[in-house]
Amino acid sequence: MAGLVTTLPGFRSPFPTEPAGNGTRTAPKLFDGYTPHPTAWDELFAPLGGPHPHCQPLVDRLGQLRLGEFQSKRASADLAFVNQGITFSVYSDQRGVEKIFPFDLIPRPIPAHEWATLEAGLVQRVKALNLFLHDVYHGQRILKEGVIPAELVLGSKGFRPEMVGFTPPGGVYVHICGTDLIRGTDGQFVVLEDNGRTPSGVSYVLENRAVMKKVFPQLFQDIRVKRVEDYPRRLREALSTVAPAGGSAPPQVVVLSPGQYNSAYFEHSFLARHMGVELVFGQDLFVDADVVYLKTTRGPQRVDVIYRRLDDDFLDPEAFRPDSLLGVPGLFQAYRAGNVTLANAVGTGVCDDKAVYPYTEDMVRFYLGEEPILRNVPTYICARPDDLKYTLDHLSELVVKAVNESGGYGMLMGPFSTAAQRAEFAEKVRTNPRNYVAQPVVTLSTVPTWTDEGVAPRHVDLRPYIITGSGTWVLPGGLTRTALVKGSLVVNSSQGGGSKDTWVLE
Amino acid sequence: MISRVAEHCFWLARYLERAENTARVLEVNHTLLLDFQVPIEQQWKPLLIISGVHDYPHEPTSENVQQHMTWSADNPCSIASSLWWARENARIIREVISGEMWERMNYYHLWMQNGAARLAYDTNRNDFYAQVRRINQLLHGIADATMSHDEAWEFFKLGTYLERASQTARIMDVKYHTLLPKLEDVGSPIDHAHWVAILMSCSGYEPFHKRPRAVPIDPGTAVAEFLIFDDQFPRSIRRCLWECEWAATSAAGNAVGRIPSEPERKIAALIAHLDARTIADVIREGLHETLTHVVDSVHDIGQSVHTTFFSPPARMTQAQSLGGMTQHQG
Repeated sequence: MAGLVTTLPGFRSPFPTEPAGNGTRTAPKLFDGYTPHPTAWDELFAPLGGPHPHCQPLVDRLGQLRLGEFQSKRASADLAFVNQGITFSVYSDQRGVEKIFPFDLIPRPIPAHEWATLEAGLVQRVKALNLFLHDVYHGQRILKEGVIPAELVLGSKGFRPEMVGFTPPGGVYVHICGTDLIRGTDGQFVVLEDNGRTPSGVSYVLENRAVMKKVFPQLFQDIRVKRVEDYPRRLREALSTVAPAGGSAPPQVVVLSPGQYNSAYFEHSFLARHMGVELVFGQDLFVDADVVYLKTTRGPQRVDVIYRRLDDDFLDPEAFRPDSLLGVPGLFQAYRAGNVTLANAVGTGVCDDKAVYPYTEDMVRFYLGEEPILRNVPTYICARPDDLKYTLDHLSELVVKAVNESGGYGMLMGPFSTAAQRAEFAEKVRTNPRNYVAQPVVTLSTVPTWTDEGVAPRHVDLRPYIITGSGTWVLPGGLTRTALVKGSLVVNSSQGGGSKDTWVLE
Repeated sequence: MISRVAEHCFWLARYLERAENTARVLEVNHTLLLDFQVPIEQQWKPLLIISGVHDYPHEPTSENVQQHMTWSADNPCSIASSLWWARENARIIREVISGEMWERMNYYHLWMQNGAARLAYDTNRNDFYAQVRRINQLLHGIADATMSHDEAWEFFKLGTYLERASQTARIMDVKYHTLLPKLEDVGSPIDHAHWVAILMSCSGYEPFHKRPRAVPIDPGTAVAEFLIFDDQFPRSIRRCLWECEWAATSAAGNAVGRIPSEPERKIAALIAHLDARTIADVIREGLHETLTHVVDSVHDIGQSVHTTFFSPPARMTQAQSLGGMTQHQG
């Protein structure tokens, strides 16, 4: 992708050290000697030196911190995470290791006007995705009119024939969407992918903010930042609006987790706690006469809405994978009978398919008659012969991704690969082209981040969370994920990434 | 509440109580032996027996037994195992217990894991045991003051008192397994010291001495009577069972005229068994036999709590389909 190359010859720190007063030694401060990335867009500092105007108040204040002060704030933030057990598990044996998700204290600000555009773009996109899913499982107009090749959609692993002809309660498919945005060297946000199945990470958005407020209370008094704390309440309200007719009043909403050994268990528990609903496992539910009940100490209680954090495959051994012990037998039948809402709906994986993603801009035009506010990264679909040829000829310049993988698995980063890796990948792509797409390598924007070598630029992305019930609401900001390894463009937590607090400025 | 969640509350409390009691026994034994020369076989082996460890493969020396009962990951009753499982249960029901309970539980989990606890154990053994004892006490205080006294709380209490009833019985049973060197040692300073140690491991030394006694009886019988029958001391078996009965009744719904659930019936039966006897009857029938009956019955009650509250049948009964939400199991 062609972008503005921003080289910074002779970049000097925007904060020359203050002259020492009264003979005291001047300790180095946070941004002293910070050198931005040679080409990437820096989220704090403008190309010609000095902070972006909207970052000035933040840089002024954080820039006053001496390194020692910053270190001690870092230590107290880490301790807060450890003491509260805000961890994810790496279960290699029964007594697994719990790790904290590395958190960087330098926030990532987004100015109000830019956020307004992103918000509008995300609402538009999710609206189109919901209309697309309804269409795909009903009239399939978009396929019949040739906007998207039918075989691409109907042959997708995420497509569920069981959903054809069925409309979920309230007509919503993607109740919770996590859309990954990245900013290239030209400073423009583009969509990298949509996560319409079970996007995770929102608990870290809330916990990161809580820890930031604890560690930097003064910053939040001086700089107005949009609140994120409404998320659990908004989610509960949205889910209540799509409860099936004829259920409990108020509707009984539950969070369904695969169990305590799931690496995201902390998040499941966090959401249930903050939404004020029960956290359940598959074994806690049963279906009787197509109605879902919760096993309680005082007998069964009807369940109306299930925010499920497990994949379609594991939901119901009678309908999907028979070997799944995590799900609830009969759940899908109860769903089809219209007696329970599943969030997200079954079959949303079809819009997570990386070979369907390139068509989301067309979906916006087709269903809404509008120009898409957010653009995609140009994508080569290997199922198309021309794209396949281009991909194989340019492997060393492209990122090649398996269409149904997530978490940074199953991909080839062309410019960083060896000839042997490229040969191996080329073979896989040739054998099963439908399974791959390719994109130009985007140099992700960077944010100053604390590293072993002091503050240095590290690449980030942004995952906003979009909730849809009777209306659509976007959590201000989202999860900023950071690649902690120098030069790395992979930000996934499973690949050793960290996170930052995202500030939508008022 | 969700049956599985009730089960985790129940076990959180049991593991915490178990860790505390194990620490108590080890602490008292450790101190007691400073005063008396007792054959090594009798010093530490009874502690293994009352915890149900019958196949300990090593020499039951002081350090070996303390290591096994404190740190061994293979020993499900060790302090480390109990605290691990307590914290694991707490983690699973993080959304049910209060945030302050969780932070404290997690704090002590980290303390056990990061070497600080080991250092305390190696440098000041009694301080370490006292610290472990305080974990449960602190968590109970925090729970009482910060957690809703709802159904989850009743299961927390049920777990606490059921475990404690069993632990008190087991602690007393140490006496049965600690044979006195000679018959004439009955009533001797060693015998007396054993009873004092048992009282102390139940924190009962002062409450015991404050209770007026009409008829002078030998100290052993008096201590046994106090720890089995006392109606006010919070660690006596009878008092614990009474608390269990109240918690089970509250958990089951507390409605007037309700048919008692199976656990309630079994608890009532055990209380009735004790109420039908005096300490003289107990001594005549055999203290060990009575204590064994208590431990077995508590086990049975635990099973019944499980089937009644934690694994209800996955189907609608007719009463439930008609809109009834009362207990319909067993």
